Amino acid sequence: MRLALHVNGATRTVEAEPRDTLADTLRDGAGLTALHLGCEQGACGTCTVLLDEEPVRSCIVLAVTAEGREIRTLEGLAGDPMTEALRRAFHEEHALQCGYCTPGMLVTARDILRRFPRPDEATIRRELAGQICRCTGYMGIIAAIRRAGEALHETAEAGA
Amino acid sequence: MDGLAPAEGWIGTRLLRKEDARFLAGKGQFLADIRVPGVEDVCFVRSPVAHGRLNGITKPAGAVFAAGDLPPFQPLPAGPDLPTYRTVPYPPLATDMVRFVGQPVAACLAPTRAEAEDLAGLVELDIAELPAVVDAREAMRPGSPMVHAGWPDNAFITSGANGGEFESMRAAAAISIRRDLRMNRQAVVPLESRGVLAYWDHRLDELVVYLSSQAPHVMRIGLAQVLGLSEHRLHIIAPDVGGGFGAKNRLMPEEIVVCALALQRGTPVRWLEDRRESFLSAPQAREHRYDLTLHADAEGNLLALEGEVLIDAGAYALWPTGAFAEASMAVRNLTGPYRIPAIRLRNATVATNKPPMGAYRGVARPGACFAIERMIDEVARALGMESAELRRRNLLTPEELPHRTAGGMRLDNGDYPRALETAREMIGLDAVRARQAAGEPDGRRVGVGFALYAEQSGHGLKEWARRGARVLPAYDTSTVRLMPDGSAQVLVGIQSHGQGLETTLAQMAATALHLHPDRIAIRHGDTAVSPFGFGTFASRSTIFAGGAAVRACRVLAERMKAIGAHLLQADPAAVVLADGMVRHGSAAVSYAEISRAAHVRQELLPAGMDPVLEATATYEPPESEGTFSYSCHAALVAADPLTGATEVLDYVVAEDCGTMVNPMIVEGQVYGGVVQGIGTALFEEIPFDKAGQPLATTFADYHMPCASEMPRIRIAHLVTPSAITEFGVKGMGEGGAIAPPAAIANALADAFRAEGLEFNETPCSPRRVTAALDAAGVAP
Repeated sequence: MRLALHVNGATRTVEAEPRDTLADTLRDGAGLTALHLGCEQGACGTCTVLLDEEPVRSCIVLAVTAEGREIRTLEGLAGDPMTEALRRAFHEEHALQCGYCTPGMLVTARDILRRFPRPDEATIRRELAGQICRCTGYMGIIAAIRRAGEALHETAEAGA
Repeated sequence: MDGLAPAEGWIGTRLLRKEDARFLAGKGQFLADIRVPGVEDVCFVRSPVAHGRLNGITKPAGAVFAAGDLPPFQPLPAGPDLPTYRTVPYPPLATDMVRFVGQPVAACLAPTRAEAEDLAGLVELDIAELPAVVDAREAMRPGSPMVHAGWPDNAFITSGANGGEFESMRAAAAISIRRDLRMNRQAVVPLESRGVLAYWDHRLDELVVYLSSQAPHVMRIGLAQVLGLSEHRLHIIAPDVGGGFGAKNRLMPEEIVVCALALQRGTPVRWLEDRRESFLSAPQAREHRYDLTLHADAEGNLLALEGEVLIDAGAYALWPTGAFAEASMAVRNLTGPYRIPAIRLRNATVATNKPPMGAYRGVARPGACFAIERMIDEVARALGMESAELRRRNLLTPEELPHRTAGGMRLDNGDYPRALETAREMIGLDAVRARQAAGEPDGRRVGVGFALYAEQSGHGLKEWARRGARVLPAYDTSTVRLMPDGSAQVLVGIQSHGQGLETTLAQMAATALHLHPDRIAIRHGDTAVSPFGFGTFASRSTIFAGGAAVRACRVLAERMKAIGAHLLQADPAAVVLADGMVRHGSAAVSYAEISRAAHVRQELLPAGMDPVLEATATYEPPESEGTFSYSCHAALVAADPLTGATEVLDYVVAEDCGTMVNPMIVEGQVYGGVVQGIGTALFEEIPFDKAGQPLATTFADYHMPCASEMPRIRIAHLVTPSAITEFGVKGMGEGGAIAPPAAIANALADAFRAEGLEFNETPCSPRRVTAALDAAGVAP
């Protein structure tokens, strides 16, 4: 069947079976390979994308249910100030090693900053509970999210 | 040496990683991201039973391949090349027997994985189930069912290690502590599971194999052998690899079958392991059983260690190494950095009906460290001593190094007591004792635990040969190429998959070449690009690939000096290299001008100078027994007597890995290793039932460490440069994962010291903690 998906601000027509997940459809149908699959059961967070601005595990969302909704992947967050602040901070705080979990981590981190503009360490640890990283021990990731939050705050203060 | 070593060139700088940009942009190229038109996906049909005779396979219409449907595979003996080792073939697809749940039996192909799974669901296996061997200790008792018919017992190999004057040392003992300790089986869990994509490239007339691997060159040797293919027709590419930790360093049956299918069908074939398959059939780890007796005198001087180590190696040996490294390293490392003058140890590497054991970060040493450090705490308890004090008394001092241990390891240099003292201060031992005396307002119990290890790295030919290794990763190789514009490519035979080697190797090359790291590109992971090398494992790449790159850079540096001096009309002995230039006083000529002369303006070269600036070097440290990084870990935990849940309140590491090329990356490796070690200590386990069925095959029942449960980790660096490596570096990638099970189990025992509880089995799950409390009659 053909699906019309609103992805990253544009409508894309993709072929999909009723049983296909949003993750597979975005990766294989739309060529959006930033999101990765780590468990295909909604546990690891590697495939996280935004659906109507809410983070979802795209491996347990059926593609057909995403029709008519706004999908944003990491590719669609290029130029987004919050995401760019996170990218810089992830680089500066050594928040990635193998890089496999990083796209899902960035999407979730952005959502954390959206809800908690200057999060403390305890908040970040709690909110990251569903994002598995096997490499970093989370230390750099937590430092990066804090750093990005502070940087965005300083930018907002300077602009005010 | 105190504090950080003085920086030499780019060595010791916190250079941000060159590899980050592509991952942050979502443009990493992992195996599943590679697009090849017309690819067919594979789903494997796997054995549903742990042990049985495969009587038949009923196949539906479609592309379904069992062992008999593919050309015969050539033999590929695995495990150590020792006469005492029993080798047994691991058929890529099961032939007459299945020996673990998840063993591949048939491969189904379809345009999508979903359709391949549909097809696999229609395959019927006729298997006559046999009794399963699931416990290594029972497997070694007479009358046990046999994993491999015809063997006299279930051991792949039994061996031993004796050292020192054992009888006299034991006779001098005032106390002897005997314990049964167990580190259970777990998964490795790189977040990107395994994968392979293979197709015949008609233009190049070669089989191209994209493989999520730590060691593409070595895998080419094995694949060529088993497929009967000439190595010059086999091209392996390890693209971005989403973690390995040892799980992607063996040649696996699925990888062989996918290549065979690609050859047979002439179309691209791919297999992407899903998480459940990864839990069923990827290399598994740990599963050590110790029965040890530690002898000490009345003052707490350790005298001798004796007993038995059993390794549950699963059903087959994986090429090339098999599982024997686990047993031999466990016994040889058991004494750690301690002065234990005598050992008498036996070990057996036991076959069971479980997935084959592979390597996992730390290899054997997490179990050995857990065993000896738990025993040391029990000796201290028996003598009424503070365990840190007993450790201090028995740690080898800097003056005693180099020291040959009773297990035969040559510990080279460092200051182990200082690491202990640093960790003791950081964790605040005295304050913890006061806090324990006061009690916790929430009723939890607080405890502190210590553990030390010394990690061998950079070991060369003699060490690998004595292990009977089939391939001896005792050197590595680098080709350094000045481009005509004066930038440089460094080609290496290792594979970076999170270690940041695209950055650290550039720092090493930049230092040797006097060229900015931005002008240096590291290329790795592709057999058609890099010179031969062994890959990334055993904490080896910075020492070996870095050493090889530095040596090749020095050859080029000398040649550039000669060309530069000629262009400057100066004496070659009077010029220096700095900032990408050859300088003579105030005159300078850039590498770009020199390399242009060497490549396209040869008339400018000195007489007799060959054109082109390219050099290849191999590197093996001059001391073959390796150089040891080490650390002391200390954990502060709070355990809830009601729920058995353990929270790690504080975790400190005082570590020494010699000269640090990039302290930021060192710290990242320590953090990641520690959290993996905490997983081993508290969460991660694949239990098997009596029939050999695995009881944890998803992230719902296999508990991964998440940010919410992990502590903030604090690190102190000690720096004792190695005397045998370039720049004094030591390997350190694995160390973080070695000590946490020991430190945390010791902390738990300390928390319940009053009740005399011990935690001698990992993971120390809530169930095990409450069971220990119940057994001791402790009411919450």
